[in-house]
Amino acid sequence: MRGPFTLAACLTFAVATTSGAFAQDAGAGQGRAAGAGGQGRAAGAGGQGRAGGQGRGQGRGAAAPSAPTPRWPDGKPILGSVPGQPVGGWGAGVTTLPQGQLDKIPFQPWARAAYDIRQIDQFEPHTRCKASGVSRQFSTPYGTEFVEVPDLKRMYIMDNGGPNSYRIIYLDGRSFPQNIPLTNYGYSIGHWEGDTLVIETRGLNEKFWLDTRGTPHTSQLKFTERLTRTDMNTMRYQATIDDPGAYTAPWTTADFNLRWRPGDELFEYICQQYNEGPTLMLGSQEEIDNTRFFVP
Amino acid sequence: MFDRHTRSRHDLRQPILEAGEELMTKRAVVAVMLTVAVGVVSLGAQHTLAAKFDVTKPLTLTGTVTQIDWANPYVHILMKVPGQPLPALWAVEVEGPIVLTDNGWSQASLPIGETIRVEGYAARDGSRQISGRSVVMTSTNKPVYVGTNGTPKARRVATGPTPRWPSGQPRLGPPPGETGYWGYPTRGGLLEDGVNVQMDRYGLLNNVADASKVAPMQPWALSLYRERQRTFLQRDPMYLWCKPPGGPRQFQQPYGFQFVEQPDFKRVFVLMGSANRNRRIIYTDGRKQVGQVNGNDDNPVFYGQAVARWEGDTFVVDTRSFNEEFWFDNGGLPHTEQLHLIERFTRTDMGTMRYEVTIDDPGAYTRAWKSTWNLNWVPGEETPYFLCMDNRP
Repeated sequence: MRGPFTLAACLTFAVATTSGAFAQDAGAGQGRAAGAGGQGRAAGAGGQGRAGGQGRGQGRGAAAPSAPTPRWPDGKPILGSVPGQPVGGWGAGVTTLPQGQLDKIPFQPWARAAYDIRQIDQFEPHTRCKASGVSRQFSTPYGTEFVEVPDLKRMYIMDNGGPNSYRIIYLDGRSFPQNIPLTNYGYSIGHWEGDTLVIETRGLNEKFWLDTRGTPHTSQLKFTERLTRTDMNTMRYQATIDDPGAYTAPWTTADFNLRWRPGDELFEYICQQYNEGPTLMLGSQEEIDNTRFFVP
Repeated sequence: MFDRHTRSRHDLRQPILEAGEELMTKRAVVAVMLTVAVGVVSLGAQHTLAAKFDVTKPLTLTGTVTQIDWANPYVHILMKVPGQPLPALWAVEVEGPIVLTDNGWSQASLPIGETIRVEGYAARDGSRQISGRSVVMTSTNKPVYVGTNGTPKARRVATGPTPRWPSGQPRLGPPPGETGYWGYPTRGGLLEDGVNVQMDRYGLLNNVADASKVAPMQPWALSLYRERQRTFLQRDPMYLWCKPPGGPRQFQQPYGFQFVEQPDFKRVFVLMGSANRNRRIIYTDGRKQVGQVNGNDDNPVFYGQAVARWEGDTFVVDTRSFNEEFWFDNGGLPHTEQLHLIERFTRTDMGTMRYEVTIDDPGAYTRAWKSTWNLNWVPGEETPYFLCMDNRP
């Protein structure tokens, strides 16, 4: 485990997280690679064109004819799996938030510089198995599953990639508490505007990137996501970034589409199982103590 | 019984203190909630103190605070200690952010530039780290990040009958519209039922000579278990690399877990407050225990393949296909890929979940054996937010 993979595992993982996401966005029909037993191997296959396994024999190449948006008895759209049908998940669809309007994004100078350097130096926290955080989870090649729990008035977003984490969206009409601790997922509250679920998130830390391309943010970020299931197979995703720490004005992304993957069950993926990235970049855990980590 | 209210990480191998209890009744929708006021909220984030620090080497240092690393699993105060020819930077390890917050502390409680006097233990590996058993600001002579700052968060407990679905089946999670999670496990390490051996909440035996009594281990497993105990559990993959706590270990964790039942999809999620907010899926749709991607291609895994059925009021979970890359017990009992678990969950009332696990692993044990403990419902709260990877490189 600790020998031959090392650099290759680290690099292929990084490649798979980015190029895999783009492949998803392009709508190419891929089965996902072998899966939880070996991320190093799976990621390698993903980076090479994702010609991996067939999920339960379902070809995902041909788009199914699009059924209308499924709905709960109260008329609200179902964002996840439909009762009575096999579960499914959403493929990645968000590439880089400034896509199509990079020149119009109201970056502060430092933020633009950070964005530019990250195009070259992709030392992304996600490659070190940090939790994806808000929009970043819609960029991972293994996708997400929306688990709606109506009687608890909440929705979980299960992130298949990364360290195997979940995010909670409260749908019970609550307001934000005081002094939200800063975390990768923050504190998310959703409300409906027509058929669109609007998710507002506060309390985000600065330990993750908003997307694979490193769109910067600070802990002042107020992040708003708009999710609209326009038909059975399509989730439209749009985000508004209101972050006076990194931008001179709030800005809104273009629309991205997540694609429904019917029959796509969550599987166990533990990023840190074979990821040698941290060891290569910083030394092994045993060699690192917090003094060395912090001492300049 | 231990729980996060009764001991701090530094009360190593001390008798468990009974917390002063002040009961106050509160009417909730289904349950009567009791608020238990306690002295200090202590929970312990991830590993026993002795895993990292040598408790036979006390140390006292005075230095100037340069940085606070407010992150899981433990908060670190970085301080500059005067010395010749140059000052040295030391890291002071105190409790994690969840425990400190529950006790009224915040990152702002200790300003950068303050001088502190720290009493604790030296790190085993000789690095410049000290455990912060006592941290005192010299300007005010007041403690910081140790004990409580004001009134600690009271623990609420729930009583009342077992909540049920309209079908009559017990609910494993909250009643409709409510919040809560399972925490405060009454046992910190696996131990065969009926065996009387003392261990701390991290599964560290008070006396390593007791090792052979803990479970019916094969000789190689006993040797390995003894070695892990002798080295204070410091080679724990969950601590070193944030590997998941698979098997019964997920129900021994200080930050608890949540059950989310989805009858519509015939599955139950275990959503953990520990590890990296991991999930485990238990299927009740009658499927076979095979890999989900391509036959057995995705076996073996950390959380195994779990299928379940109800036997009366007991949820019976059958799990196989574990890998060997993790410890399935806080205390470091070994397992092999042959591990087969039968876990029985019985919610005996609103506030109590009985957990009974049968461990059948012919690769490591001489016979199947059983361990039982209780989990307690924490009403009105979300599982604490803990990501093990937070302060990892």
